[in-house]
Amino acid sequence: MTKWKVFKEGVFEELPLQVGVFPFGIIYGIMAIETGLTPLQAFLMSSIIFGGASQIVFLQLFSSGSSMAVLVTSVGAINSRHFLYSLSMLEFLKKLSLKWRIILGYLLTDEAYAVSIRKFMNEPNKLFLHFHLLGTGITLFLSWQLSTLTGILLGGDLPEFLDLQFIIPLTFIAIIIPMIKSVSTLFVVLSSAVTALICKNLDINFWIILSAVVGIIFGILTSKMDSKR
Amino acid sequence: MIWSTIILCGLITFLIRFIPLSGMLSRELSPLLKNSFKYIPLAVLTPIIVNDLSIIQNNNFYLLDNYKLYAAIIATVVAIISSNILATIILGMTSFLVMSNLNIFL
Repeated sequence: MTKWKVFKEGVFEELPLQVGVFPFGIIYGIMAIETGLTPLQAFLMSSIIFGGASQIVFLQLFSSGSSMAVLVTSVGAINSRHFLYSLSMLEFLKKLSLKWRIILGYLLTDEAYAVSIRKFMNEPNKLFLHFHLLGTGITLFLSWQLSTLTGILLGGDLPEFLDLQFIIPLTFIAIIIPMIKSVSTLFVVLSSAVTALICKNLDINFWIILSAVVGIIFGILTSKMDSKR
Repeated sequence: MIWSTIILCGLITFLIRFIPLSGMLSRELSPLLKNSFKYIPLAVLTPIIVNDLSIIQNNNFYLLDNYKLYAAIIATVVAIISSNILATIILGMTSFLVMSNLNIFL
């Protein structure tokens, strides 16, 4: 199979996921303008950070007046899972030039990873595998930029009764529920939720970091209770 | 300030995605570290959800007439049953819009 055939395969396998990505990008664009970012800031953030959930959290923390340190730490924490993605792709991509690894590293997001790692594992010896990730990555990149732009152009023109911001916690619920697969993950969710409530009640500014740390500690402490398979 | 924050966030995000691929990590990660990585998304996203549900406002708990909380519970049930992101969002949003626009608790 030629390079471009593998590339096209990546593009076409990535397209169905845009049903979820596109509305998320529109909401990000709308929220960014409502938060007070300029259209240029809102648009370029989508290529500078290029990470949906972390960009939304950026806006939420920014609008509540959080410090730069809290913002950067939170964005880093949310995107830290990509470190594991990258680690698991290394064995398939380690022979590539530095230039290729920089490009693919930049494009490595949840949706591109999910589609391409399946391909990599099913056909590990195939030639030009990296063109598959290039296809999924570029598709997602273009879709994210286009949906962000759509949201920015829509701006604050939506009717009052459509409280669209509520889509954000709903999306996060849809993301985390399938991740709760063991006792320890359940403890992570419960302990970080309770900590967040306590922190909010006591007006603690760095609630997000503190809750996350408490959650991770509870996860590690209870991980022995997970059934070993 | 905002530009530098955006650029710094972008730089950190890129490094997180690129460093393992760069091959510069010579040693294998410790199991404890690897284990804690998998909890991070849950541990960060849960507090954000809790915050977005406006359960605490002006240092008071706000539970009984909180439409967002009810809609979130519906969404959670849908997510558990279907594991479908789109169905969760659509049913959660519909129930929220219906409850808040009809003011069913007033």
